[in-house]
Amino acid sequence: MIPPGVVRAALLGLSAVFVALSLLIVCIRGVRVYRQRRRERIAAPVRGLLLQLLCADEDDQSELLHQLTQIDKRTWRALEPSLTALLGKVAGGARTTLISLYELRGAAGDAVAALGSHRAARRGRAAQVLGQLAHRPAVAPLCRLLADRDPEVRLAAARALGRIGDSAAVPHLLECLQGPRPVPPGVVMSALVSLGPESQPRVSAGLRMEPLARAVAIEVLGATGAVSRTSEIARALREDPEIEVQIKAARALGRLGMPEALQPLLAALDPDRPVSLRTVSAGALGNLGAVVAESRLVELLDDPNTHVAATAARALLRLGPVGQGALRTAADHAGGRAAAQARAALAELAVGGARHGVRVEVAL
Amino acid sequence: MARVLIADDDADIRDLVAFKLTQGGHQVTVAPDGMAALKAVREEPVDLALLDIRMPGMSGLDVCRELRAAPETATLPVILITARSQEGDVEVGFAAGADDYIIKPFSPRELSSRVTALLNRVER
Repeated sequence: MIPPGVVRAALLGLSAVFVALSLLIVCIRGVRVYRQRRRERIAAPVRGLLLQLLCADEDDQSELLHQLTQIDKRTWRALEPSLTALLGKVAGGARTTLISLYELRGAAGDAVAALGSHRAARRGRAAQVLGQLAHRPAVAPLCRLLADRDPEVRLAAARALGRIGDSAAVPHLLECLQGPRPVPPGVVMSALVSLGPESQPRVSAGLRMEPLARAVAIEVLGATGAVSRTSEIARALREDPEIEVQIKAARALGRLGMPEALQPLLAALDPDRPVSLRTVSAGALGNLGAVVAESRLVELLDDPNTHVAATAARALLRLGPVGQGALRTAADHAGGRAAAQARAALAELAVGGARHGVRVEVAL
Repeated sequence: MARVLIADDDADIRDLVAFKLTQGGHQVTVAPDGMAALKAVREEPVDLALLDIRMPGMSGLDVCRELRAAPETATLPVILITARSQEGDVEVGFAAGADDYIIKPFSPRELSSRVTALLNRVER
């Protein structure tokens, strides 16, 4: 049995730890609030100038720009969080003026230097600023930051590279998907898509890399409309050993909408293929608008897997009058499972049409 | 000169829009969230409301629906502000009764023009 004195001491100790932690949290919050208010107080005298600059006509901007470039370092630091935030929130002349202010102040150079700071928060903020400024000379140091020890900094670097829009970053973005310090695929994909169609030749190199890089590369090629890469993506659907890559390839082929995607997508519907691949392929045929796939999609209405069958029904809807006619025939004459899927899809069409003020005649 | 309500939890945006509209001769009321926006409109009627869609607590869409539901604000012109990544909200916004929308990032000049255009349309 544990002596009562030990229990009392343990409870007291736990209470002391709880109180100390609570005090620590309160103190940290207090310091944050104090710092924020201090920053606002320091920036207050020039904040009006900044707003004036952002709303000024071109003729009045140069004097305001001059005044803001002359402010002392302490005030600039206090104003900088607002400047960085506003860079991502304003467009047109206001954004151009903000970029001019950063350039005149030499702040882009300072941000490049801050990428090497020992403080992760500073490196991350600098990456964010450089991305917002679309500062091309920062591409190489930002690529190095994709392997930073801090995951938030890696994210900031990937996003910044996407905003800057230099396709030289593509190999680095694809490589950072692997290794001990990876960047999440969703962030890499967004960055690569932001680089636009110019990056497609370099993204295509990812088709010969590791499985995750292949999957991301295919998704990016689909999202950026790389129709010239259809045959390579179709090959990935047919031959890639990884199911995830095959699924991305099927989806990308549907998006690209090229006729040569038809046969690989039809082959991917075979019953011995994984359900997830068959479902995506059925949907892709609908996106493709391939009327010749109508009979195969009608067969799938009776598929034992309800996901495949329901996706085939929706794909038929997207084929337009031909697919909708096939659904009506199935609803009236097919067996139980197929008829039910066809009716469900037609009911969805009726509801969608009603929502948009379109009258759809459906005999259920 | 019109009275305009700006509801946005982002102080930078709120201040910028308020500055631009004041510069254009409008009288501006600001609110940091949806509840404060509704309270402000009920206390002192406005001619137009600019509402950020994503606000803590009560969203701009909720405020818009509340405004449309009350007889005294049912026809109040409403412009929604939304981020590019939330463009899907626009359709929901129109369904909630909004008259126009602005996508962030936006140009202060364009925003001011849209406010003026909507006010002119309502006056006619």
